[in-house]
Amino acid sequence: MSSEGGLHPDPSGGRRWWLFVAVVAVAVLPFVFQDSYWRTNLIVCAINVMLAIGLDFILGYAGQLNLGHSAFYGIGAYASTLLIINLGVPFWIAFVVGMVLSGIAGMALSLFAVRLRGHYLAIASLGFAVIVHQVLLNWISLTQGPLGIYAIKPPPDIALPGLPSISFSNSANMFYLIAGFALLFYFLLDQLVRSPIGETLAAIREDEVSASSFGINCTAWKVFAFGIGSALAGAAGAFYASFVGTLVPDAFIITESFTILAMVIVGGMGTLIGPVWGAILLTVLPELLRGFGDLRLVVYGAALTLVVLFVPGGLVQAVRIARARLGRLRGASDAGAHQ
Amino acid sequence: MLTVALQQGINGIVFGSLYVLVALGLTLIYGVLVQINFAHADIVTIGAFAAYFFTFAFGGNYLVSIGIALMVGGALGWLVNAAIFAPLRERGSELLPLIATIGVSILLQNAMLLWFGPIPYAFDSPYSDKVIRLWGGTFITWQNLIIILVSTLTIALLYAFMKFTMMGKALRAVAQDRETAGLMGINPNQLIMLTFVIASALAGMGGAMLGPVLVLTPFAGTSVIVKAFAIVIIGGFGNVEGTIIAGLTVGLIESFATQLVNPGLTDIVVFTLLLLMLALRPTGLIAEKREENV
Repeated sequence: MSSEGGLHPDPSGGRRWWLFVAVVAVAVLPFVFQDSYWRTNLIVCAINVMLAIGLDFILGYAGQLNLGHSAFYGIGAYASTLLIINLGVPFWIAFVVGMVLSGIAGMALSLFAVRLRGHYLAIASLGFAVIVHQVLLNWISLTQGPLGIYAIKPPPDIALPGLPSISFSNSANMFYLIAGFALLFYFLLDQLVRSPIGETLAAIREDEVSASSFGINCTAWKVFAFGIGSALAGAAGAFYASFVGTLVPDAFIITESFTILAMVIVGGMGTLIGPVWGAILLTVLPELLRGFGDLRLVVYGAALTLVVLFVPGGLVQAVRIARARLGRLRGASDAGAHQ
Repeated sequence: MLTVALQQGINGIVFGSLYVLVALGLTLIYGVLVQINFAHADIVTIGAFAAYFFTFAFGGNYLVSIGIALMVGGALGWLVNAAIFAPLRERGSELLPLIATIGVSILLQNAMLLWFGPIPYAFDSPYSDKVIRLWGGTFITWQNLIIILVSTLTIALLYAFMKFTMMGKALRAVAQDRETAGLMGINPNQLIMLTFVIASALAGMGGAMLGPVLVLTPFAGTSVIVKAFAIVIIGGFGNVEGTIIAGLTVGLIESFATQLVNPGLTDIVVFTLLLLMLALRPTGLIAEKREENV
């Protein structure tokens, strides 16, 4: 691994190796964590990873501060669940529709807010999230309002010929399903940000005026990025509903957006691997601190604030600094040995 | 019918003037710094709790407690600026301070949750049940009258300060052009600090008056602040007059929406208005030259 590439070292071999490590890790984790409590946390981690990389694509790569990610999460969850329960649509079709609807909502918001940047977009997306939450709360004939929707079934069993059928009421299988999708999305986003599209987005993020002077259609690309990121949130929502089995509007309040934002920032915005670690850390750490009661939520706020103040590049930057120090230390001790 | 309309009008002005107090702080900070302070919400909440504990735990006078909340708010504003905004200013990032204050807000809310618990506090102001009868069957409680009077007086003082004192003029100069103001011998850092103290003092004071009319929990400020954001945008970021008009308008809309439609729909009405405003007139009700964000 080259030391300066940091995250994404040499282009092909190293990355394939890390993908392999990730697949093995996902395969092994349910065996390490057998009890239902930690299995649940594993699944929540996978859902949060999906949410965090989606938000990071919008924020870190396309440079748009979206404070309404909870809305797209909620739209995906409610749309897929209502399709299944009210219209009897099969899970996987409902899943895709939920994802597409979230994506469309994201694109619509982005298109609507296309003239707005920075703070104005932040407030507009926040306002959008408030509206979606209030609609979920108040459209009682559709969403049952604060009472919530209960007894949502997990995805249907998959029966492959010649193999025992895979049931998703088994938490290990559920984890494989969601983590598998999280990996897939990660892989696709990774391809995307490395392609010329990634460079286009970076150009727009750094300087919109000069990007458009090169003939880049900034609006279209920003809308595209918003659509992709919110579609991922929609997928996470559909999985969330089928995993938890109940839906209440308060699962998608605006604070949820802040939580996802904290994962992205603490991990390292503008890198894909950072938000993955951020999501895992901020899901697991509060659970480890459960013994301290409400103190665990203070951790979120403290982590977010301290990271912005001292290591704005998040965990990724911290690892990079540590590695550089270690390298220097090693260099120094080598030099000492040679004397 | 007319009575109902008048009564809702009074209620709307009561809430509207509180929203103005909170939103003015946001808009003042945006004016000099072009930054958003999310922790403003929690300064409102802490102001409310400060007033609550002063009145009930120490048996203090409610009117004095408004002053206490004002001081607590001002001190917190100083702290937020010194700890978050001042260190981040050199980095020149547009979004990092906003994100950092979201962190501060999560931190403060959950710290309050830890100390005060999730159960709403019954903040009964001694003035809440004393009623003044007005024309045509309408009435106003002393509490609401205090809210309107104190808010109006504060806003008037602030307005006079901005318009007529040297410091107020310097503040507006910094808001217009920080660098040039610096060349004129104005110390922008001091003025930014002053702005934070004033803005947060208004928030703390607003909290003390909101406490008795709101459900007082550690999350009380959040519902107010999202509305304050809407108000600041509708009024035009950094625009004091626009903020006052927008705040009263939102208070009135809310009050009439509660009466005419479902109370649950008020937020939808207010935020749809916000989004419409952003689409049609992003510079706010009163157009200003500041357009770098639009």
